[in-house]
Amino acid sequence: MCQKEIHQTKNPSHFESADLREDSPTHRDILWEDYEHLIKDMRFFDPHIHMVSRTTDDYQMMAKAGIVAIIEPAFWVGQPRTGLASFKDYYSSLVGWERFRSSQFGIKHYCTMGLNSREANNERLAEEVMEILPLFAYKEGVVGIGEIGFDDQTALEEKYYRLQLELAKKTSLPVQIHTPHRDKKRGTERSMSIALEHGLDPSWVVVDHNNEETVKSVLDQGFWAAFTIYPFTKMGNERMVSVVEQYGSERIMINSSADWGISDPLAIPKTAALMKQRGIPLEVIRMVTYQNAIDAFAKSGQIDVADFETEFQPDPNAKFHGNSILRGGQQPVVNKNSLLIQ
Amino acid sequence: MANLPTKFSQFLFEQSTEKEREWLEEKVKSNVLDLMTAFVAAPRFLSKKNISYDSKFSGSLVPEHPGFEVDGWSFVRLARVWLLLHIPSGPKEQFLKNIETLFDTAELNELVALYSALPLLAYPLEWLPRATDAVRSNMGFVFDAIALRNPYAELYFPESAWNQLVLKTIFNGKPIHLILGIDRRRNKELSIAVSDFMDERSAAGRRVPIQVWRLMGGASDEVLHSKLIPLFSSESKLEKEAAALLAFESKDPKIRSLLANEPDLELSIQNGDLDWSKLESIPE
Repeated sequence: MCQKEIHQTKNPSHFESADLREDSPTHRDILWEDYEHLIKDMRFFDPHIHMVSRTTDDYQMMAKAGIVAIIEPAFWVGQPRTGLASFKDYYSSLVGWERFRSSQFGIKHYCTMGLNSREANNERLAEEVMEILPLFAYKEGVVGIGEIGFDDQTALEEKYYRLQLELAKKTSLPVQIHTPHRDKKRGTERSMSIALEHGLDPSWVVVDHNNEETVKSVLDQGFWAAFTIYPFTKMGNERMVSVVEQYGSERIMINSSADWGISDPLAIPKTAALMKQRGIPLEVIRMVTYQNAIDAFAKSGQIDVADFETEFQPDPNAKFHGNSILRGGQQPVVNKNSLLIQ
Repeated sequence: MANLPTKFSQFLFEQSTEKEREWLEEKVKSNVLDLMTAFVAAPRFLSKKNISYDSKFSGSLVPEHPGFEVDGWSFVRLARVWLLLHIPSGPKEQFLKNIETLFDTAELNELVALYSALPLLAYPLEWLPRATDAVRSNMGFVFDAIALRNPYAELYFPESAWNQLVLKTIFNGKPIHLILGIDRRRNKELSIAVSDFMDERSAAGRRVPIQVWRLMGGASDEVLHSKLIPLFSSESKLEKEAAALLAFESKDPKIRSLLANEPDLELSIQNGDLDWSKLESIPE
């Protein structure tokens, strides 16, 4: 990534934290043993997590911590894709293998489909992607167009953002907006005003990666405000608790955005535990860690809570119509304390 | 457009509500890109029910493929196959490109519909690489769509691909009797592979489903004879029955003579009380 120096110091992206002294204290990590009892019987929905970059261990821990459903937005895999085929394979994995893999751990997997802002800057490829995007947007379990919006806030980013807002209208899908790491305030305002200009109902739009500086305007204009608990760079979980204390639970939701960076797929349960410790009422915790995300994305008509509420009995031995992620004879849960690997 | 069987449309519309029928008819009047998008979007506009099967259509939905059955399909799958049959089949290059695009972007349920439609699509041989790929799939639904109750493999698979399909069906513990043409396409190579597979399972202390034995009918007399002797002395009634059926089918006098010790079994085969269908089972 070739960021200009001025950008690195203004509003850092992942790994580009300008001032660790300031960032570090905002995120407090806690051990499973310390918070397990605090979140007992709670149920979580992570509306933004990139499982394609995560491991089986993560799925196991997430299920154990009470995460019953997730949304995986289509995004940047860490390096630019060079051809349409890579996009097709990536989108296909979101509705195919990753969804199946997730189901093997008792976690219901949804996704949002979109062309991400960084790659919108490759116009030739972006044109090709836009041609096939409708074929993916209409797929079962696709709960939105996302994550779209701005990165560098270029003209091409704006062009494809607008085109995808139109696609969201045509397909009757909610929109999930990625707000930029740099120049965030302006990028967030710009994303919202363009969405309104296209006639989108703000209750159909989730604005992601908010912070203390953007939240008020997002809520005031009627959008959903999502917060990403991402160590060091985005939102810390202690800061998040304060936001909830200040703004309550209406139209606020928390996610992990866990991906290939130093991130935490357990960000939601950990933040819920902190909120519980701070005396935030259970119903408020439930809204921001579960219900609001469902309400926002269920407008797609693609979420049936029965799939993860009544059937939440993860059976690791279950097979997906005769197939399993388990290789012949493997046991579903590996005892990591065992010396013998059978 | 490929020949669209009248009964297929009739059956589809019998299952549709008026609104669904309107949506379907509107989409096939549209341009090809809208038609392809409709193929994807079908579950958003059509009921998710499983279709109820009426025996009056059994074996006749597609007259040239009497084995083509839609029993147990979802309504969406049926509608998707119907939509595919409306994609204009010419010019050929454009048609192939359109179907390839749908394959390339398909999720599981769409793949199932695509593979189900293969025997009905234009230029059937062009889909052979796709069809053999589906056999390699680790997605159960996709595998089933090409392997079970689908006439495509029997009609177009070369022997090696056919054998691979049958072996994988056995390996996955799926019901081989649902492979159309399973008896018609028995062959020596297959029986050798099945025999090896049985030996391997036996060495590991595992059994094979009893109906797999029917595939041994293609083995050489010598191999079959050596397999049947222990099978006849099995304590399992089903294994004895399988042995009797194989011996009965054989033209080799030495093998036929093995039946002499089992007059009851021979009689029930002669009377039509015992045949392979009695040993068919669908695993859970």
